[in-house]
Amino acid sequence: MSAETAGPETLGHLSDEPKGEDPGTKGRTITGKSPMRIAMGRLLRDKIALVCMAVVLFFVLIAVFAGPLQKLFGVSTETVLPSQFLNLDLTPKAEYGPPYGPLTMEHPFGIAPRTATDNLAFWLEGAQNSLQIAAIATVLAMLLGVTLGLLGGFLGGAVDRFLTFVTDFFLTLPFILAALTIAPIINERFRDSPNYATVQVVALIGVLAGFGWMSVARLIRGEVLSLREREFVQAARVMGMPTGRLLIKELLPNLVAPIVVASSLMLPAFVSAEAGLAFLGIGVTTRPSWGQTLNQGISFFETYPLYLYQPLIGIVLLVLALNLLGDALRDALDPKTRR
Amino acid sequence: MRRTKPLAALAVASLLALAACGSGDGPGEGTEGSFGETDAGKDKDPNAEGPAPEVEGAESGGTITVFLPGDYGPDDLDPTNGWSVTGNSIQQALTSRSLTQYRVDSDGNATLVPDLAVDLGQPNDDYTQWTFQLRDNASWEDGSPITAEEVAFGIARSMDSTAFPGGPGTEYSTQFFAGADEFEGPYTDKDTDWTEWEGVEFDNDANTVTINMSKSFPDMDYWGAFMAIGPAPLGKASNPPAYGQNIMSNGPYKVESFKAQDELVLVKNDQWDPESDPARHQYADKFIFKFNADPDQTDQIMLSDNTESQTAISNDLSASSYQKALDTLGDRLVQQSAQCTGFLYPDYEKTDMAFRKAIAYGYPYEDVWAATGQVPGVTRVQANSIMPPGMAGKPDYFVDGEAFSYDPEKAKELLAESEVEPLYSAIYYEPDPLAVAGAKVAQKGLEEAGFTVKYTPVQESPYSTWTNPDDKLNKSLTVRGVNWCSDWPSGSTFIPSLFRGGATYNTGGFQEDEIDEMIADVPSLPIEEQADAWGDIDEKIMTEFFPAIPVNYYNNLFTFGSKIGNPSGDEALGAPNYKNVFVMQ
Repeated sequence: MSAETAGPETLGHLSDEPKGEDPGTKGRTITGKSPMRIAMGRLLRDKIALVCMAVVLFFVLIAVFAGPLQKLFGVSTETVLPSQFLNLDLTPKAEYGPPYGPLTMEHPFGIAPRTATDNLAFWLEGAQNSLQIAAIATVLAMLLGVTLGLLGGFLGGAVDRFLTFVTDFFLTLPFILAALTIAPIINERFRDSPNYATVQVVALIGVLAGFGWMSVARLIRGEVLSLREREFVQAARVMGMPTGRLLIKELLPNLVAPIVVASSLMLPAFVSAEAGLAFLGIGVTTRPSWGQTLNQGISFFETYPLYLYQPLIGIVLLVLALNLLGDALRDALDPKTRR
Repeated sequence: MRRTKPLAALAVASLLALAACGSGDGPGEGTEGSFGETDAGKDKDPNAEGPAPEVEGAESGGTITVFLPGDYGPDDLDPTNGWSVTGNSIQQALTSRSLTQYRVDSDGNATLVPDLAVDLGQPNDDYTQWTFQLRDNASWEDGSPITAEEVAFGIARSMDSTAFPGGPGTEYSTQFFAGADEFEGPYTDKDTDWTEWEGVEFDNDANTVTINMSKSFPDMDYWGAFMAIGPAPLGKASNPPAYGQNIMSNGPYKVESFKAQDELVLVKNDQWDPESDPARHQYADKFIFKFNADPDQTDQIMLSDNTESQTAISNDLSASSYQKALDTLGDRLVQQSAQCTGFLYPDYEKTDMAFRKAIAYGYPYEDVWAATGQVPGVTRVQANSIMPPGMAGKPDYFVDGEAFSYDPEKAKELLAESEVEPLYSAIYYEPDPLAVAGAKVAQKGLEEAGFTVKYTPVQESPYSTWTNPDDKLNKSLTVRGVNWCSDWPSGSTFIPSLFRGGATYNTGGFQEDEIDEMIADVPSLPIEEQADAWGDIDEKIMTEFFPAIPVNYYNNLFTFGSKIGNPSGDEALGAPNYKNVFVMQ
């Protein structure tokens, strides 16, 4: 995504100055606390953050245990021959659940119009695919962005100018257009492959990560530019520490806060991007996806609104929770934005 | 002509829902699937005269809005280039006249009647020369009379396959008109003046046009109902492609504005003389066609009965709204059969008859229709023969004594008899989610019937794979498909295109010399025997060789606003009957 996930101006560093003015410590014996512990303490006092964490945890558990959960409910994403389950307007018959009948234990979320597949199974696997794709894409985008940001910021000179150019170049490419163009090309190329389904997922992750790393690279570069002039870096240099070690041992630990905040804001962006692409029909077509279900649900909104609401609630809850959690993390890690 | 929405792969972006013409016996009767017998091929009235009979209760005035959901409409309005159901149904009814036309009466029967000609043409004994006497009182929108020379020039334009690659002339004019070898059309052939071309002669004083054929062409009167066989202004005024954006009308309406893929506005043409036209009316003041309308939005508008929808027509209805429309619209929901058949076409060389019949029993017809958003028994009806209902000479037979239905056990038995590997290798159009769902369901059904299924996604229209003999993927397929619609109600626009050895849309590569000879012989038969001859060939191909599985016939659903008078379909074109609708004041 070329959209800004987090701006450098709103991200601070962990302050290593004593927290004398912290209200939590007033009137007590001053004890040493690591910056991370201070942040955790702030986070745990944030009620919204806790609720969001619970929601995110819920979805993560669903994603991890999608398979066993389907077995537990006795449902599956298997294709069925639909006509026996459907009314004339292609909505499910009353005995199979909504919209004309009550929910049944066989299909706790009902069955889909047109294809008559089980909604719960599709919802669970949709959550799994959504989180899986977004998480892998976030990790990849982070790796790429942090590496390039570190190198550019620390080495400076020609390397920096080149990397900045590449970053800016990628920022100029419109994400949706690029995805629209790339997806069919990749699909066409690998259509005969027995691993077509995997290729499609990998391609989607590639597109998401390939267009999502730039903001991180710029953010990290900026941070590194200020850090590299600090005394501890100078000292390490004087001692003859090799560049690689210096980057990883000295600089990286000081960048944990912005990285955590940026990833926590990138994740929801990718979840919605994945759903958006699937909605447009260019994301994953071989696996269940919330975006696909949304697209199919639109025509049935009037007769069978529940079918549209299921993926919608999934996406809204997950994206909202992840975003609020990201904000809470930023607040916790950055003393300057205390609420 | 082929339908661009292939089996289980209806392209959302299909630009031309090609095909037109033919007449049936009224709308199909839905769930029963009984389309009725036909006398459509013989429905001709050479003596019909203008003005057209008044529609009962018709009133003048008002504006009619026509929504065309998911339908991009024509890219240009040039009559010579028109070969799509959408474009032809609008223009032939309202703006562009030709030699002949269809009149749809109150019972829904389409009859071939004269248009610019005073009769349906005078053929010679072997149908190699047709003479049309033109009427004197027809005129262009600027008031100038339509001359024989202009009609002849229009016919000469239809020879130009380079300037109009998508026009119907590429199929009929170049094949049947004399001198096709020497004349490539007025825009491509700079050496020959079109008046020197032997294919058409005109006499401005006698007001006649004579068309010479290279071979017997008894269906010239039907071909004359295409707007491509109509007049064009002489000289530069009608040069393509500019003319296609700014045509000169001669029907009851003229073009006020046209934005391709968006909107077409037609207003009354005051130079059109009702006395000169046996089938058209000029009731509404204005027609507004909205191309590529949003399907769900359109359904909501049409079902809401608000002021906007009371004078609107939609030429499509989503399956999800079908039940509600059925309950609320009454006879304002019109089910219109289109003269089309969809086939699965297994590779003739790679498969044997037992394999092909196994597909006929192993393909889950109704389930695929449901998954692709069609209403089983309403918009899709099981097919039993090559020729669709409403076509002259359509035989009534079942290959195995009764209709094929999904029967996995039977399919397994047949597969055991078959000597070829039970590999069902086919393609589907991936950008459309409905096509993906359809392919999944078909795969499930066929696997249960004992097939090994290999479905490969494609990103372009499946036809670009199926019709490309050098395509590697195409060579690997064991089953292809084709959906075909007739251009007029004769087997000659259907069977040769699909079952003649080497024909472009013979996607299964069916080739039997015996059948090729029978096809070649039909045009030399007496005209009244031809319809039945096509029917015999249909039955012979299917019972003796069974090269393709006829999967379904098509029905369209049209909805009409509550203030639209005479809600009905035009069975000749498979479109709403624009000629006869009016606004009730």
